[in-house]
Amino acid sequence: MLLKVEDINVYYGAIHAIKGVSFEVEEGEIVTLIGANGAGKSTTLKTISGLLRSKTGSITFEDKDISAVQPHKLVAHGLAHVPEGRRVFLQMTVEENLEMGAYVKSAGVEEGLAKVYELFPRLRERRRQIAGTLSGGEQQMLAMGRALMSSPKLMMLDEPSMGLAPILVDQIFEIIQSLHKAGTTILLVEQNAQMALSVADRGYVLETGKVVKSADAQALLNDAAVKAAYLGG
Amino acid sequence: MTFLSYLIQGISLGSIYAIIALGYTMVYGIAKMLNFAHGDVIMVGGYMCFFATSGLRDRFADGSVAQAVIPNLAGLLLAMFVCTLLGITIERLAYKPLRQAPSLAVLITAIGVSYFLQNGAQVLWSSNPKICSSIIGKGVLSLGQLSISHVILLTVVVCVVIMLALTWFTGNTRMGKAMRACSEDKAAAQLMGINVNATISMTFAIGSALAAIAGVLFTSAYPTLQPTTGALPGIKAFTAAVFGGIGSIPGAMLGGILLGVIETFAKGYISTQVSDAIVFAVLIVILLVKPAGLLGKQVAEKV
Repeated sequence: MLLKVEDINVYYGAIHAIKGVSFEVEEGEIVTLIGANGAGKSTTLKTISGLLRSKTGSITFEDKDISAVQPHKLVAHGLAHVPEGRRVFLQMTVEENLEMGAYVKSAGVEEGLAKVYELFPRLRERRRQIAGTLSGGEQQMLAMGRALMSSPKLMMLDEPSMGLAPILVDQIFEIIQSLHKAGTTILLVEQNAQMALSVADRGYVLETGKVVKSADAQALLNDAAVKAAYLGG
Repeated sequence: MTFLSYLIQGISLGSIYAIIALGYTMVYGIAKMLNFAHGDVIMVGGYMCFFATSGLRDRFADGSVAQAVIPNLAGLLLAMFVCTLLGITIERLAYKPLRQAPSLAVLITAIGVSYFLQNGAQVLWSSNPKICSSIIGKGVLSLGQLSISHVILLTVVVCVVIMLALTWFTGNTRMGKAMRACSEDKAAAQLMGINVNATISMTFAIGSALAAIAGVLFTSAYPTLQPTTGALPGIKAFTAAVFGGIGSIPGAMLGGILLGVIETFAKGYISTQVSDAIVFAVLIVILLVKPAGLLGKQVAEKV
């Protein structure tokens, strides 16, 4: 098991945001967490990467308990998190952003850059440009490329399609699939459940901080309740 | 000639403001807080330099090269060492526990630390003024009718060197880039593996070492040293940092130098008594026109 989340409970002050969520990700899978806005998807990812803390339970990554590890130490373990809203460093150049992605690596930065530029030729064209001048789609590519720079075993993607034109959404999901083919395990959080389930192996449905359903992605796509709630009937 | 000598004096005073403002602006850029104790670190730097130079000077033969160089160099290094430690300690004890607190609480704490340092200096070293000697002697460079003291030359050169070094550091080194990343987005920086707390400590260390240099240069130019010595230059340098665009390194430099020049002209041509009021009036007018400061950054976020 690559990632195992067991019975986590997360609070924002008095608000109980995550109520006993458990799930797991096997090596080589694409697993998706779907659910409405506010269901706790992003909160779950932030808890895994240590930006938020769970009061209970455990999070294990490659059989190591990481629930008390400081967030900046997790990258070196092979965990990369592409946060919601991309959060690229807007005042830094594209290449500097990518270098920050490889911050914990002592070697192989050049190879990493070459790999990312091959995957995202657009970023190579713009490598001297300030990230704030990129379009939304390019910023999403940059955020994913930046995460790739650490050669992660598990890449957590939070709403990669948010705010993008449909043609760009297709492109981003193609890239997710090619990353997966190249050997990266992916934990994908999406409001666009249709897209997410179409690329995923398995899915978990979150509702108000709880996992209400989990199944193979294909089964969820055909599930009447999931269809009604998340797939537009 | 008067105009030119006022200008040179203004640039020199402004260079000191600029060095102090760099500390303000870097700390603000990364920790998003106004470290009002920064001015008082200058004062501590001044005292350290004073004690080292006055303690060592008599150990060397009168007029020897060693006497001219070693005490002053030791003074500068001691000031930088103590101030760096002091800056890291202040951050660790006073500001770090408040990382999640409202900014008003941090601001009040910073004011508290400022008074703590002033009163501490008063207890340790009394409020009787000490008279410092110049770090580079009393030499003067004469260019025709114009005479420029070595202190002024040194101050301007040091200021330019510091700004170039900082610009290079933040633009080209791994640590410097990590500092810029932290200043933009701490959570994202953490996700890259950057230790945000260590980066903030590093920023305080650099800012405080700069404050020590400013303290040594300031007491070289204005030799009367007492526990409140750092307060006014600190406030003015803060203003200079806002004036230039807080968070911006070239902004701090530009703001500091303009502030020094305006102040010196106001003193020379209008009145020494109201020069500070004139300086602040000019600043208010400029900030009304350019609220982000002269070189302040306003990056539009694309969706």
